[in-house]
Amino acid sequence: MNQKGLILFCSLFLLSGCWDQSLLSETKLISAGGIDYENDGKVISTVAVPQAIAAESGEENVANQIFSTSGFTARQSRLKLDREVSERLDASKNLVLVFGEKTAKKDIYLLLDVFYRDPKSSLNAKLAITKGKASDVISTKFEETTSSIGVGEYLRDIIRSAEESATVPEENIQSICPLLFDPGQDFALPYLVPRKDVVDVEGIALFSGHKMAGTITGPDAVIYVLLTGEKSTISMATTKKILKGQKENILNYASIKIKKNKRDFKVNVSSDGKISAHIDLKTKVVVTEYPSDKLGDEKVLKKLEKNLSRVMTKDATKIIKQLQEMNSDPFGVGRKVMAFHYPTWKKIKWSEEYPKINFTASVDVEIIGHGIIE
Amino acid sequence: MNKHTITYRQLFFVIVQTQIGVGILSLPFSLFTIAKIDGWMSLLLAGIFVQFSILAIWKLCERFPQQTIFDILPKIMGGKLGVVFNFLYTLHFLFITVLILILYNNIVSKWIFFQTPGWVIIFTLAMVGVYFISSTPRELARFFMLVTPLLLVLFFFILYAYTDVHFLYILPMGETGFLTILKGSKDAVISLLGFDAALVFLAYTNGTSTKKLKVISFASLCVTLFYCFIIFTTYIFFNPMEIVIVPEPVLYMLKAFSFKIIERTDLIFLSLWVVSVATSFIGYLFVTVKGVQKILSLKHHKKAAPYLGIVVGIIATIPSSKLETLMWSKYIGMTSLILSVFSPILLLLLAAIRNKKEKEVISS
Repeated sequence: MNQKGLILFCSLFLLSGCWDQSLLSETKLISAGGIDYENDGKVISTVAVPQAIAAESGEENVANQIFSTSGFTARQSRLKLDREVSERLDASKNLVLVFGEKTAKKDIYLLLDVFYRDPKSSLNAKLAITKGKASDVISTKFEETTSSIGVGEYLRDIIRSAEESATVPEENIQSICPLLFDPGQDFALPYLVPRKDVVDVEGIALFSGHKMAGTITGPDAVIYVLLTGEKSTISMATTKKILKGQKENILNYASIKIKKNKRDFKVNVSSDGKISAHIDLKTKVVVTEYPSDKLGDEKVLKKLEKNLSRVMTKDATKIIKQLQEMNSDPFGVGRKVMAFHYPTWKKIKWSEEYPKINFTASVDVEIIGHGIIE
Repeated sequence: MNKHTITYRQLFFVIVQTQIGVGILSLPFSLFTIAKIDGWMSLLLAGIFVQFSILAIWKLCERFPQQTIFDILPKIMGGKLGVVFNFLYTLHFLFITVLILILYNNIVSKWIFFQTPGWVIIFTLAMVGVYFISSTPRELARFFMLVTPLLLVLFFFILYAYTDVHFLYILPMGETGFLTILKGSKDAVISLLGFDAALVFLAYTNGTSTKKLKVISFASLCVTLFYCFIIFTTYIFFNPMEIVIVPEPVLYMLKAFSFKIIERTDLIFLSLWVVSVATSFIGYLFVTVKGVQKILSLKHHKKAAPYLGIVVGIIATIPSSKLETLMWSKYIGMTSLILSVFSPILLLLLAAIRNKKEKEVISS
């Protein structure tokens, strides 16, 4: 018994050793990172490290330390950063990774490799593309970031709220990885536009393969998210111009909130090898704004439904046409061809075929409520 | 009653826990490199092949009740050749334990402990093994039973992946052709190894002969389905082009998920997985130590345990690079195919031809 106790006592000291500790006091946690290409092809990494400063009132203020260096690869510039910073930089809690628009138009996988390879990297960080340079977004002192939160949290929150309002699809570093490798499907990321003291999520940046191909902005982005088959998010809403030539311009519009969105997505290959795709959306919506009122009348309601369906179908068709022009296939038409019509897939070169296929969409709106007035 | 016996129900847990081990993390990857997206079919096929070996092992042990493979071998082969084969089998099981340690060290040092020296990782597991095998089969079986619920936790973790899967990735099905699927099943059979522990553990099992067979087959079926589920999940989570660069798809998949409280799900998964590795290590180490006991004619296998632990640990520290590890696992995989999968069938045939058989000694 005594011997056992001795062994246990000894193992207390022998088994609790740790080589692999990384103390919080010895690291600087990166909360946001930005990557740009310089004109000469070098990679500039910009990182934001939030540092808490105790203010007099007891509230904590956050100061953002910004570091930036350049190197030939993403990792090299990070290593250089490490040498500049007093403590060890740690990206395992990174929240947002931003690419400049110009950079995204080159192969982004080359820059992402380091994030996929490092076992400690945070794969669920949000990704975003910004107009201009990523370093500007990371280093600018925006209205909200100066007060209480770091730039990483601020960017993550605006992307998150854009996801909730269905302006951008929900993606992170890992979720786009299968799509980066998929020859039959592409993806889209949030597109940021820095203004004077805020950052706007303007819409989405679409990718064709590893490269950014274009953007879809404003209310169209919502239709895009609907087309991806997203069922519903917390505040999936949009405003549509459904009439023309009313007395007051505002009477031309109606705002709706999508309660339920059902997608029927068909891809067909005809016997002579022609590929066609069709997306059919059945959405149940609630009218949140309709100044013309009189929704108690069934006729008015039906007419509104019809108008909304017409306008949204038009928008959807327009978006699909844009996508085909960009040669971006975020809905995975190619993936469906590969899965269900493999012999056809083997014969064609998808990037050449996709812009030419017959791709249509229709939206069917059903109003299931209109707030607490008629 | 003898403390060394286990019930046939406990045998189920022994087999399951010995089968599920290191392979669970990298199996989807290794199958994909051969059979592409039809890798999961290879595994099902392997499950069927394994069933033949299980039948042979069961029939062999039925002929020689309450005897381990190391008792049986000299009886079939004759004295001298029996000793040679005993030595061969002991060495074979020893190298399986070594391989488990190598792969374990590989993954742990790659995913969690970057700074910790490899030998520390190896010897902590070896120490655990030594401690466990100094006990009786019954205590071992009880422990294996105790940790089995952890597999359910692993199952639920993997189930969470279904929040972000693309079912179309598994299509088109069967495009790789039957031959490729068959080729892939070779690797799959190696990953299902662990049922061969029955060669020793059957000797300690109480219960009727049919019950024993049912239990082993059911264990193998469970493991096959569990593996198949894992493989299938990773194949619809990762793009077929992507999985080629992800050698531990299960961990990589979990790394992407984070909850409010748990940020790195993969680390939680790994710490539960360590238990599974430990059990298969313990299972095989016990089989090995039984072989050592027979060769050296020791009274109790306990005496050999610490030395065996040290030997196994030292050998496991030899391979230093990824390529060397690959070579080791290739060769040990090959010997396993021969000694654990095929040779029970041959041994059974030999025993049948020579008509070697023993009556059960009724002991109460």
